[in-house]
Amino acid sequence: MQQEDFKPGARAQMEWGFGGRRRWRDGALLMALFLGGIGAGQFVVSTWLIDSVTSALVGLVVVGVGKTVAHLVYLGQPTRFYRLFLRPKTSWISRGLIFMVVFVAFGAAYLAPDIGFAWVPWETGSTFSDALLVGAILSAFLVMVYDGFVLLTCKSITAWNTALMPPLFFTYAVAGGTAMTYLTLIAMGSEIPNQDTLTTIDSVLLVSMFALLVIYIVNMTTSNATARESLRKLTTTKVAIAFIGVAIVLGLLVPLSLTLYHEVASAGTVASVLLALSSILELSGDLSVRHSILRAGLHTPVFSEGL
Amino acid sequence: MVRLGMVIDLKRCIGCHTCTVACKAEHHTPPGVFWAKVVRVESGKYPTVIRQAVPLLCMHCKEPECEKVCPTGATKKKADGTVTVDSKLCVGCRYCAVACPYGARYFTPEWKDYFTGEKKPSSQFAEYSKKKWLEESDRGVVSKCDFCEERVKQGKNPACVDACPTEARTFGDLDNPESEVSQLIKTRRGMQLHPEYGTDPCVYYLPAR
Repeated sequence: MQQEDFKPGARAQMEWGFGGRRRWRDGALLMALFLGGIGAGQFVVSTWLIDSVTSALVGLVVVGVGKTVAHLVYLGQPTRFYRLFLRPKTSWISRGLIFMVVFVAFGAAYLAPDIGFAWVPWETGSTFSDALLVGAILSAFLVMVYDGFVLLTCKSITAWNTALMPPLFFTYAVAGGTAMTYLTLIAMGSEIPNQDTLTTIDSVLLVSMFALLVIYIVNMTTSNATARESLRKLTTTKVAIAFIGVAIVLGLLVPLSLTLYHEVASAGTVASVLLALSSILELSGDLSVRHSILRAGLHTPVFSEGL
Repeated sequence: MVRLGMVIDLKRCIGCHTCTVACKAEHHTPPGVFWAKVVRVESGKYPTVIRQAVPLLCMHCKEPECEKVCPTGATKKKADGTVTVDSKLCVGCRYCAVACPYGARYFTPEWKDYFTGEKKPSSQFAEYSKKKWLEESDRGVVSKCDFCEERVKQGKNPACVDACPTEARTFGDLDNPESEVSQLIKTRRGMQLHPEYGTDPCVYYLPAR
């Protein structure tokens, strides 16, 4: 830690993600980003594309409980958490948490009639319920994308200060949401409605994620020395296991092959197993890419030549 | 309007770390927390390479990134230009520490003894040090240099300025064109670190060569 503080060159950010100042507890922030993305993605996929109440509820719980708990574990002073909402005018953390609360409120209100709260004065399919769904989906999109803006605003961390961050986090969130939806439905033993559409969307997302990562890497090679150092960290140090091994190979290329093979697999059980495996790999890739991006965060050296 | 700032003469700095120690003695910062520190930098190319000691502290920027990103309002810019952290409002999210381009902010999960590394003070002085630190900051929050707020209120210079044996540091009002700091910046071409970020730091460096 102190070595980083006294380093004249690029310094690793030591605050966010596993391996930070509090080693494991700092990883709770990574989990918060991960759970927020996949939970919101699952809600959107479940309500918009396949109309599964249970899966949508799982997504909502992942965000409302999982992400909230992860944030509280991470904070140095969790009892003052309410203060995080106070500065939406300038801080992306405040904005993101407000999006999260709005999403959970709208999502819960939309699902209420279907999950045993029959006394609520609206019904699923009514205009009011549709308005709630639109509100929930819009806020879910914002929950998926705000992490990217949180990182983007850090001017001295070149690996984060790129316009690619929001689309990258968004694409990963939707893909993670699709994977979570598959896993929930397979665990429930139910049929997957609109499976062809979902599989096509999943394949397109996997290809898009791969393309975004390639652009991200190319962007770093053509950027300043700190970005190239971040890239070196991503590709040649311990982080490379997470980035190349898990995020790219296991989290992108293998699921893509499995998804394509799944389309031609005839036996139902084999197809389900392949789909579940592909989804688990996609989720591990999602977590790894977020971890790698956090770990690749290097501050530009404080001093430049000529001092 | 007063805008407090500091000028550091890199030609005079010998990298003795007296400022680091003076800051620690003044604020009782626990291990791993360096509000004032000195970093060794090598620059130039053979045969004109120099190894330069560069003191670092919070830049008290005019447009602080840390204040913008703080979700709680714990980081504030005061009327005299100093940027402070209210430890009673900070939640320890560390967005400020990540966003600060100068690495000036420190998160302290717990107070720890210098010699034993334990949470329990090992001596009377450590007990006193812990008490003083907890008066100034808190557990699980971010802290940083406050330009020795208490000393400045009493009309003194920050501890690092008074302690520097080579008088490499000068403290004063940047908005007063007649002040020593303004004159030094003007005559010796004072530089800010990373002006491209638009933070407009209030700490200036006078070049070593």
